[in-house]
Amino acid sequence: MADRVLKVNAFTTFDLLEGRVEGHGFAEDAFATLNVRTAREDPDNVTLELELDNVDLDSVPPHADRVTLSAAEARTLAAELETAATRIEKTTDDGAEQQSDTGEEP
Amino acid sequence: MPTKVERWKDETYGMEIREHLERFAQEGFDAIPEDEHDAWFERFKWWGLYHQRKGQESYFMMRIGTPMGRMTPEQLRTVGEVAREYATGPVSNPEFDDAYADFTTRQSIQLHWIKIEDVPDIFDELESAGLSTIQACGDSWRNIVGSPVAGRDAEELLDVWPIVEELHDRFKGNDLYTNLPRKWKVAVTGDRRGAGQGDINDLAFEPAIKEIDVSESDSEARQTASDGSEEVPGFNVTVGGGLARKEPRLARSIDVFCRPENAAEVAAGLSGLFRDYGDREDRFNARMKFLVDEWGTEKIRSVLQEEYVEYELPTAGQGLREEYDYNAGRADVPGDYVGVHDQADGRNFVGLSVLVGRMAAEDVIELADVAEKYGSEMIGLTQRQNVIVGDIADEDLDGFLEEPVLDDYSPDPHPFMQGSIACTGTEYCSLSIVETKNRMVRYARWLTDNVAVPEGVSDFHIHLSGCTASCAQPQIAEISLRGMKTRKDGEAVEAFDVGLGGGLGENPRFADWVEMRVPADEVPGYIANLLEVYESERDGEESFRSFVADREEDELSSLAEPEETSYEDPYLGNTKMTWYPYAEDDDMSASPAPTNANGEPLPTDD
Repeated sequence: MADRVLKVNAFTTFDLLEGRVEGHGFAEDAFATLNVRTAREDPDNVTLELELDNVDLDSVPPHADRVTLSAAEARTLAAELETAATRIEKTTDDGAEQQSDTGEEP
Repeated sequence: MPTKVERWKDETYGMEIREHLERFAQEGFDAIPEDEHDAWFERFKWWGLYHQRKGQESYFMMRIGTPMGRMTPEQLRTVGEVAREYATGPVSNPEFDDAYADFTTRQSIQLHWIKIEDVPDIFDELESAGLSTIQACGDSWRNIVGSPVAGRDAEELLDVWPIVEELHDRFKGNDLYTNLPRKWKVAVTGDRRGAGQGDINDLAFEPAIKEIDVSESDSEARQTASDGSEEVPGFNVTVGGGLARKEPRLARSIDVFCRPENAAEVAAGLSGLFRDYGDREDRFNARMKFLVDEWGTEKIRSVLQEEYVEYELPTAGQGLREEYDYNAGRADVPGDYVGVHDQADGRNFVGLSVLVGRMAAEDVIELADVAEKYGSEMIGLTQRQNVIVGDIADEDLDGFLEEPVLDDYSPDPHPFMQGSIACTGTEYCSLSIVETKNRMVRYARWLTDNVAVPEGVSDFHIHLSGCTASCAQPQIAEISLRGMKTRKDGEAVEAFDVGLGGGLGENPRFADWVEMRVPADEVPGYIANLLEVYESERDGEESFRSFVADREEDELSSLAEPEETSYEDPYLGNTKMTWYPYAEDDDMSASPAPTNANGEPLPTDD
């Protein structure tokens, strides 16, 4: 089995996420690491890198994926994530309220 | 464009950092401007000081470089006294108490909780005993590694201690080599065990014999063959080894034989070549291994010859690699120095097991006293984080072996207590994501109490690293553990990737990674299950390493399953989020740091 491609240490953005690789005729779940990187010096872009644990995958060879974002693209992504996070929290809050309204334990 | 670190180094680096260190020591930690912390902490490394992790601001780790791990008992006592006086923090460690010294995989010593205000006094104490922290870290010649029993080992090809002393004196504090693109790690091996572990160094001198025509030779012949040629002992030169990042490399031969008297010139040439051609624009690509990847060994050799060395370099000689046994995973001989061994002068050196390399300050002092009592002139730290006491006469051996300090640091330990290496971990390190040393101690104890050692196994190497950096050399162990996280019962818990079957020796190989994210509390059960399979399925006396090497990936992955056992892990939670994993209130907000010279909290902006 191959070693990890991405380094993982205390500066890694997420060392434990749940991921899924999907293609034509295959789909597999695996734990994943996700990291946001910028160059130490005068960065001109953001790299988002993702690796699913290769030990759990048969359908693809061990690898990591990277996308490069400009500052504007990174902000767009951040804004969408922010919006999506708010929606999740709102749904959760609403759900909790609804549950409370029915008298059930939240 | 040069990196930020390169710019900091251009401004101030090397010997001159000392005067700034002393100024900050006098004025106090808070005299270091906050917006200059990164720059100064980077520079302090050159003088052996690493700032500790988040939650431990104002505390430093201090590394003392001891060439080939070699000290006198007096120097060892100084280390213990400095540790006892200065290496104490706000909270004790539940396994190791208040003050201790860590012996590292590069034969250095690390002390923690050091206050910058104490640094001048510590330097005075160390330097008055002939010890130093110079270039223990930073972008320069690091501590030179090799067998501490060089000159004493009855089996060695040549005594490399005078060579290592020469290299140490020449390349420490030398302006020409002060500022390299990255760290420069050197191993010098003259023994037949491969105890320098040169394969994982930027530059390695490996023992070799070269047949040279008498007429060409100006050195003293060791053996003269019937055809008039001489067999000259010396070294084959290899470069570009290292374990860091995802691309470990074994050092590669540049087809050069080097006589002992030429070692300094060749070393100067190769470190000069690295200084001039190494990558200063990308620190991730700066190590010598990547220059060797880019250039190839032939170009390294030709540039060395044309630009850096005045004499014609001979081609490589006959190496002794097939004899290597150090960390070689062999079934027929142990892979370290633990135990009683013959010295060339008829006396003995005794290797003592130091579990995870950590020794209480009081024990360090006691061991120094015991060594002196028995007339020892040599203490050695090994790359397996153990310690050797040399020069014990036959008639004194029984008495020495009965000394109480050897109860805890045994020359004849249980195999599971002997082979364990661990890095610093979340206790102090900024990079680590899991607790390491205390956990490895608990693993070793549990395995000793609960798992039968397969017949014939005398030492079993488990290397535990807290992240994908390779400070515990996880790629070269029978069992490699590398910190990760996983989810268990819905909670994020500390875990390990597991590798098997790595090691050095005649045919060095890196571990095969076979499991990912094994919960830390299921690792002992995994090892127990694995060893059961090994014992039942191995071929005769087959070593564990050979057992792994003979199997395909799929089979290795299904050899054993992780399992909960009676082992209990007190550090399963997210220790990197604590300010100190063993504090009663370990929440980051409970940290007293940063503190002043007396350990009292300094005011912060928060």
